[in-house]
Amino acid sequence: MNTPISFLDSYKKTINSYDEVINKSGEVKPYWATIFAALEAVGVEELGVRNREIINKLKENGVTYNVYDSENELVRPWKLDPIPFVIHQSEWAAIEKGLIQRANLLDLIYKDIYGEQLLIKNNIIPAELVFNNSGFLRPCFDIQQKEFHQLSLLACDIARGPDGKMWLLDNRVQSPSGSGYALENRIVMANVFPQLNKNIHRGKLGPYFSELQKTVGKLSTNVENPNVVFLSPGAGNETYFEHVYLSSYLGFKLVEGSDLLVREGFVWLKTIDQLERVDVIIKRIDDQWCDPLELNKNSLLGIPGLLQVMRLGNVTVINPPGISVLENHGLMAFIQNACKFLLKEPLIMNSTATWWCGQTKELIYVLNNLPKLIIKKTNRDLGFKSVYGRKLNKEQLKDLKATILSNPKEYVAQEEVSLSTTPSLIDGKILPRLAVIRAFLISDGSNYKVMKGGLTRSSVVEDKFQISNQFGGISKDTWIISDNLEELEEPQERQEDIIEIKKNNPISISTALTSRNAENLFWVGRLSERTLVLTSFLKIIFNRLNENVSSHGKKQPEFLVVLLKAVTHLTQTYPGFVGEDGEEDETVFEKPLAELIPLINDSKKEGSLTYNVQSLLYTINHISEKWNNDTKGIIYLIEESLVSLKASNEQNISQTTHGLDKLYIRLMAFYGNTYETLPRENGFYLFEAGKNIERFLSLVSVIQTLFCFKRSEEVEQLLLESVLENHNLLAQYRSNYKSQLNLVTVLNMLFLEKNSPYTLAYILDTLSYNISNLPKKSEFNQLSITEKKVLEASTIIKLIDPEELEQADENNFRKTLDSTINNVSELISSVTSSLSSLYFNHSVMQLSFLATDKDNSDEI
Amino acid sequence: MKYKLVHKTTYTYIDSIHNYQCIVCLHPISSERQNCEDFKLTIEPNPQNLYARKDYFGNTQYYFSILKPHKVLQVISTSIVEVFTPKIVVANAITCAEALNLFDTKLVLKNELLQFQLPSPFIFWDEEIKLFAQTCLAPNESLYESIAKLSEKIFTEFEFSSGATTINTPLNEVLKLRKGVCQDFTHLMIACVRSLGFAARYVSGYLETLPPKGKVKLQGSDASHAWVSVYVPEMGWCEFDPTNNIISGERHIVTAYGRDYSDISPLKGIIFSSGEHKIKVEVDVIPIL
Repeated sequence: MNTPISFLDSYKKTINSYDEVINKSGEVKPYWATIFAALEAVGVEELGVRNREIINKLKENGVTYNVYDSENELVRPWKLDPIPFVIHQSEWAAIEKGLIQRANLLDLIYKDIYGEQLLIKNNIIPAELVFNNSGFLRPCFDIQQKEFHQLSLLACDIARGPDGKMWLLDNRVQSPSGSGYALENRIVMANVFPQLNKNIHRGKLGPYFSELQKTVGKLSTNVENPNVVFLSPGAGNETYFEHVYLSSYLGFKLVEGSDLLVREGFVWLKTIDQLERVDVIIKRIDDQWCDPLELNKNSLLGIPGLLQVMRLGNVTVINPPGISVLENHGLMAFIQNACKFLLKEPLIMNSTATWWCGQTKELIYVLNNLPKLIIKKTNRDLGFKSVYGRKLNKEQLKDLKATILSNPKEYVAQEEVSLSTTPSLIDGKILPRLAVIRAFLISDGSNYKVMKGGLTRSSVVEDKFQISNQFGGISKDTWIISDNLEELEEPQERQEDIIEIKKNNPISISTALTSRNAENLFWVGRLSERTLVLTSFLKIIFNRLNENVSSHGKKQPEFLVVLLKAVTHLTQTYPGFVGEDGEEDETVFEKPLAELIPLINDSKKEGSLTYNVQSLLYTINHISEKWNNDTKGIIYLIEESLVSLKASNEQNISQTTHGLDKLYIRLMAFYGNTYETLPRENGFYLFEAGKNIERFLSLVSVIQTLFCFKRSEEVEQLLLESVLENHNLLAQYRSNYKSQLNLVTVLNMLFLEKNSPYTLAYILDTLSYNISNLPKKSEFNQLSITEKKVLEASTIIKLIDPEELEQADENNFRKTLDSTINNVSELISSVTSSLSSLYFNHSVMQLSFLATDKDNSDEI
Repeated sequence: MKYKLVHKTTYTYIDSIHNYQCIVCLHPISSERQNCEDFKLTIEPNPQNLYARKDYFGNTQYYFSILKPHKVLQVISTSIVEVFTPKIVVANAITCAEALNLFDTKLVLKNELLQFQLPSPFIFWDEEIKLFAQTCLAPNESLYESIAKLSEKIFTEFEFSSGATTINTPLNEVLKLRKGVCQDFTHLMIACVRSLGFAARYVSGYLETLPPKGKVKLQGSDASHAWVSVYVPEMGWCEFDPTNNIISGERHIVTAYGRDYSDISPLKGIIFSSGEHKIKVEVDVIPIL
């Protein structure tokens, strides 16, 4: 019998270029031997199992790169390789030096470009790279934040070149992302794969984040109790997960531009109680979009007037707008000279060799060596994708040459470096893949600190240098390891593996609810209830349809016709079963599925079930910082339901009904979990208000369509049963009344019963309670306009006489029932708009204009 | 000449405006050609904050904000400016080709001029514009004379017509229409000059107008104006007014210099409202000495 080859030996056979595992003398680095031994002990099969566990864990935690997109369902789950990227502390120390020098250098370049411009005047940097760069923002030239470093946060992509040294490929300063993913990777790995941690001393990520908190605390103008916000462009952003994750981890409030406003020289956060002064903004939107008053006037993501507040020194922005000038590939070509000029020392870490085509000699080199190069534009925001010379055919190379020659100053070329490979788990095998590490730096005021770890991304396909998450690269936990603990430990550091930093948190966590989140929570309440009611109604209809398939042939019994019409009214998907102008169309009832299925699977049809689920998920996703891990797990299940319901068709009715059952339970779980965990604060009361408004409106809509016309006793019996079932009241009715169903007693119960959550009296009592807990904006002792409306509706409901409501005129029309319902329905509908103007008053249109947009004053 | 300048802008809104923020660029610059002796900004309703700053180009800009809900906003700037008698222009013989060579070789010059040679938010050009420019600017001719010729060409071939264009009409469209207002002519001329590698700035300001013979000048009948400033080696920045085909002189009062209109628009603001608004601008240029 053959001894199976060890993991390490078989991996070594697959290596075909410089690999992380092998040192310069061709031997396996000892720490990699340890890791391979650990992997070996786990075994291939188990490795696969762990890998799937990781995938599930990440999904459950809602870790995505491209976030949930209702149109294309582009949820791109985050991918994490169970095999980490490993660097030894002794090597990392040198890398850190290079990174810290680079950060200091970039900070000085930034200050120079917006200050004296000595780099330009001394011909160190060509003027074109500043003046012809859309990242150079003139309105920012007189912004000087009080701290020593203007560049506080920096992310650098580094990789090992053929000489065995780390090279700097790129730097991110506008909104450096990735540190949150790095943290999540570490936590998931520690949970799923604890064996790997044994006997290995790893650097901790925690100190980086506590440093970030300390720095932010120092930057604030209000040192006692700084108000820090994390400014995100919103849920549409590709790294939105990280915004949610990091802001809640660090205890900073997640906001969007519309949550903030400038007033009297300060930035304020709009909460539903008051305006709160903001001291520090951690910015994750690109510079141009920060202030529509002085920068891109079409931006709806920014805060008009922000730059002026910054000039006054009344708010600190990390990193300050204007820093985008550093994200220019062209600067790389001049970085060595800039280093000598500004720091008076040689550059420690090399950048990829870069040629700016604005210089004659360099241009000629580039044109003659295109197949070896990567071509980029100096202006990053022009949507020009990097072009790899070696991938082009003759014709394409010719075109590229012409493009460069037409405006050489706009192009840079970088050498396509052959990078080292690192072991990666690909389809159950350990194979060498290219890897790039993103390192993170934070200024502590006087110098920079580097995270002991990072975010490594490797390519899925061999030899392909596509590590970007947009193209499906895989991330890796990144370990800085050491032979003994002391090398890694900061003196005061604790032993825990998973970082805990909230203790000693210098930042107070404010729980105030932003107006935007207030509105979103209200709508989550409404939409979850709307979806729940519709799901349950559809369940009943499918049950009844199934029961009646054989007995009546094509024609539907009257009560079913009424129920089907009620579905159309409830969803407002006219003409549907109601028909045009009340003219019902017989054929619709012959094949009800033709109408019912799109009402479930057509997510583009307004009012359909999947449409509602999508709107619900969309709204949920906009406030994801409010959901705990369990709720996130349920949200993931609802997303799954959405996918399966979209696939439903006439052929798989039983699956569809099963899908409805599942969705119903999941929605209930979502609702229950939310109800049990949301703190009893404004957000909860608005969520509950939304839910009860929706419950009330759907219930009266159903009562109205089902009972405003008197029908035969037999039909009404069946309808009564359905309506009670739909509102979870049937069993209770039977035990309370022990009588046959009849409209008077049912109305009595639906309207007046006080102890069941689905009766009108109960709903309005709850609604009134929730609304009374919201912040008061009216005069002392006076009810707010919403309270008045709910009170009025509640009074109408409580004063009804079921006998009177039951009375029908000669045309079998129950006029009193109809008009009572119209009254209360109008009152409760208008509660939404009153709540809006009281609490969500932030979504007013923003217009920016120049004085002469509409006149012709310049007429001489 | 000394002038009193009154520039009154009135905004009328249908819905009340809350928390208005605005940037004003109306303070006439003081330079070798003119001195701004006095400047007053009157804003109604009263702003909460008013801050002045020098922008990147050295112009004075004001930021103000108004918290009080209002339906009418009036911004009146009043200034006294003395315009010195212009030096007699002696056109030098530097040719276009020589000028370009200097721009390329002299680093100090290049660094100073580059941002006025590059495209800017309102200034970009295509082959048509370049061809149009080449009809006036030939390599071996005097740069100054060529620019004067370009200014004259725009003046004679284009029709002044308010309403034919807006601030957002692209320049190649203006070139096709052969119509526009002073802003369009100024932007077009700047684009022409830059398309061939020279440096040009946008000048905002006023031009004293004279009433028709025998009539009294009406109040508010003046307007703000725009023209071009081109860099000619050894002469420095030279101003041309393609709308009137004159070399700008004592009757031209400069407010600000920038790359184009977007850098120095007189007022730009942000409102939060969905309603309509109207703008009325009245300008008086009153000679006082």
